[in-house]
Amino acid sequence: MERKILKSSATGDSCIYVKHPSGLDIYICEMNGYSSVEALFGTKYGSINTTFKTKEDNDYTTVPEGIAHFLEHKLFENEDCDVFQLYAATGANANAFTSFDKTCYLFSCSANYEESLKILLDFVQKPYFTEASVAKEQGIIGQEIKMCNDNPEWRVFFNLLRGMYHNHPVKIDIAGTVESIAEIDADLLYKCYNTFYNLNNMVLSIAGNISADKVLKICDECLKPCEDKGLETVSPDEPAEIVMAEIHETQPVGTPIFNIGCKCAPCDGAERLKKVVCATLAAEIISDVSSDLYQRLLRNELINSTFGTEVFCGDGYFSVIFSGESSDPERVRSELFAELKKICSDGIPEKDFQRIKKTVYGNLVRELNNVEAVANLMINAAMSDAEPFDMMDILSETTNAESLEFIRNELVEERFVMSVVEGAEK
Amino acid sequence: MPMKYNRNELADGIGFSTVIDGKFKTNSISVRFITQLDEQNSAANVVGIGALSVSSAKFRTLAALNERMSELYGASLSSGASKRGDLQILSINSSWINNRYALDGEDITAEMLDLVCGCIFEPNVNNGRFDEESFKITKKDLLDHIEAEINDKRGFAISRASETAFEGEGAGFSCYGERETAEKVTSASACSAYRKILETAQIEIFYVAPEENESVGEKLKAEFSKLSRCPAKYEFNVPSPVKQSVERVSDELDVNQCKMVMTFKTDSDDTYAIKLMSMIFGGTPVSKLFMNVREKLSLCYYCACRNIASKSALMVDCGVERGNIEKAEKEIQFQLDEIRNGNFTNEELDSALLSIENALSGVGDTHSSYVSWYFERFCEGRIITPEQQSELYRTVTRERIIEAAKSVKTDSIYIMYNKEAKE
Repeated sequence: MERKILKSSATGDSCIYVKHPSGLDIYICEMNGYSSVEALFGTKYGSINTTFKTKEDNDYTTVPEGIAHFLEHKLFENEDCDVFQLYAATGANANAFTSFDKTCYLFSCSANYEESLKILLDFVQKPYFTEASVAKEQGIIGQEIKMCNDNPEWRVFFNLLRGMYHNHPVKIDIAGTVESIAEIDADLLYKCYNTFYNLNNMVLSIAGNISADKVLKICDECLKPCEDKGLETVSPDEPAEIVMAEIHETQPVGTPIFNIGCKCAPCDGAERLKKVVCATLAAEIISDVSSDLYQRLLRNELINSTFGTEVFCGDGYFSVIFSGESSDPERVRSELFAELKKICSDGIPEKDFQRIKKTVYGNLVRELNNVEAVANLMINAAMSDAEPFDMMDILSETTNAESLEFIRNELVEERFVMSVVEGAEK
Repeated sequence: MPMKYNRNELADGIGFSTVIDGKFKTNSISVRFITQLDEQNSAANVVGIGALSVSSAKFRTLAALNERMSELYGASLSSGASKRGDLQILSINSSWINNRYALDGEDITAEMLDLVCGCIFEPNVNNGRFDEESFKITKKDLLDHIEAEINDKRGFAISRASETAFEGEGAGFSCYGERETAEKVTSASACSAYRKILETAQIEIFYVAPEENESVGEKLKAEFSKLSRCPAKYEFNVPSPVKQSVERVSDELDVNQCKMVMTFKTDSDDTYAIKLMSMIFGGTPVSKLFMNVREKLSLCYYCACRNIASKSALMVDCGVERGNIEKAEKEIQFQLDEIRNGNFTNEELDSALLSIENALSGVGDTHSSYVSWYFERFCEGRIITPEQQSELYRTVTRERIIEAAKSVKTDSIYIMYNKEAKE
């Protein structure tokens, strides 16, 4: 069993990494003084993993949209009871989520974490699907899909992705559609489960008021060794160009909501982390509250305090998104383009660069203040083939020139998409 | 190092609580202004407090203020408004990383204390008016926020249900005010609202940090003692009377999913039994509503019960197909009857209790949980620890829960229909 301490040189925080004999990657952070525990057991399987094969398969299998999320719902049902009933006896607060590239099962608690951890490890390794229970879930998820379709923030974001990506499955809704989930049956769920819920493809992250030795003892008892089946997933070829520059949708909303995003070149592993740091700094330099752009937009009443930025990336996709509410999103976009031109030609003032770097550093320190955030930090890093404290080290090494290079090379007008959700009467 | 809590009065109606907990990497200050929630003043109050977080006499623009906080490692300053019973709670919140993480040895705490006090006590005001630019930013934010309430359909449905359930009471109003009153707010009226808040509001201040710093209390005391105060007395818990007959209100919107909110009211003062009853009813993923309305009948993705103790009310809300609304309503009533009839297992009771205890044990793992805990205890007029509250829940008997459920009466039902499907 490989075991090592991962340490942050900036703050002195540390966590333990263990490569368990079962194949599972385990991250443990003992946080002194905290009462609660947060645990996430996740697989590198999300909505984008629609085509895959293992070394046992001759051909790739393509599955209906939304099946990873459907599987997440169904795993909560054991042969003899609902998993929530098991957690009810420990008092833990349990949940799960499916994103583009991962599915995580989690609990938080302030007592009995050992029992809750056993439940978590056990039920995720014990699938039980029947045609009747699949049919029942289609009704519940159908309601979830409808609820999401009434959420304008959700719609504006997915429309943006549809405007950016021709083929990459990141453009599909995580929960699929009422039609696509109707194609799901128990056999398909088992096929996906047996492919992706292999411990070699999974991560356990646990932080808070815990003992690493106790956690590892429970892992030894509960984890069933898995053979690495040589999982391969494929994504269709994705051109660098966008699909369309603008998408509008009508919904009952107040001020129109916009996402203005730039499709950047995707990358993996350490390269991706470096790019995330450069993109985060770049986005803040362009549009933080003190920036010329933000102040100009504010003075002209083109934005309000909801304005913000996000770096959104994963396997095969990378983008920088500017979002908010505006009565005139087109002007926001043209002001953004003007600012990009200015920065590309004039460069980034060193004082601003250092100031933004301090802000990003402060945000990273804050993350380490919170049990839930630390558990998420560890699993997100593991799922991106990085280490939890890498970001802070990369930040300290990142230069003004690298951030400028990102802006010049990646944030080009032709790759921008604007998505707007507005009320029926403009 | 164990946590240390202390509260003292800085001036008439101004409480200052410190929570010192060595595990934290950040410091924070939260100043909460408690005032009556009414139709006329809430919007001006929001703008008056909001303008404080946009500029000050020292940092005259939002850009300058933010630049300074950004140099201080992304320190934050924000304002907020919320509703508690019939009261409007306005707040100024600030947080920053602890001095030991300052890369260049800055005294971030001293700088932020100055900055926060400057915003509160030396606002960007001239001739009784907020600076025009700061005022414009804040007012636009408020108007956009009011307009955007429709964006969150679940929240919108709850607001509409509250208007009906608490008609004529403070809790029936939005804590942000209505668009019409917000539009009328001027930089002078916002400034005068702020002056009135300083004079009459009950003010509770919370400082949470990893180590003691006496200068914080001293500075705040020096600043607040300059104020001329005439604090009003506020009722934190005002039970809302149940309507004679169930009132039904509906809207028709261009949405995919209909929403239903059922408001229930109680005349019971057994608050711990009511809370436990609401958890068994719809407060956990093994509650009666989750297991039956969602899991057994597949009628909803969510169907949950929230306890509004300050108004002696419960609200059940769900997202549901038009064709299933009646079925969902019947099932919700049936599940409540089940509790009234004592048809709940010891396991259901234990899991509700464990869920509450779990939440209580986690108090203190974040700054905000400490602030919420001690603020609520202040509102209740009794400072107890989470452990003491756990003990009070443990004494609740099955019979008290049945009595609590029997005391609950249906008050009103709000339905958001989708356009195509309304009959």
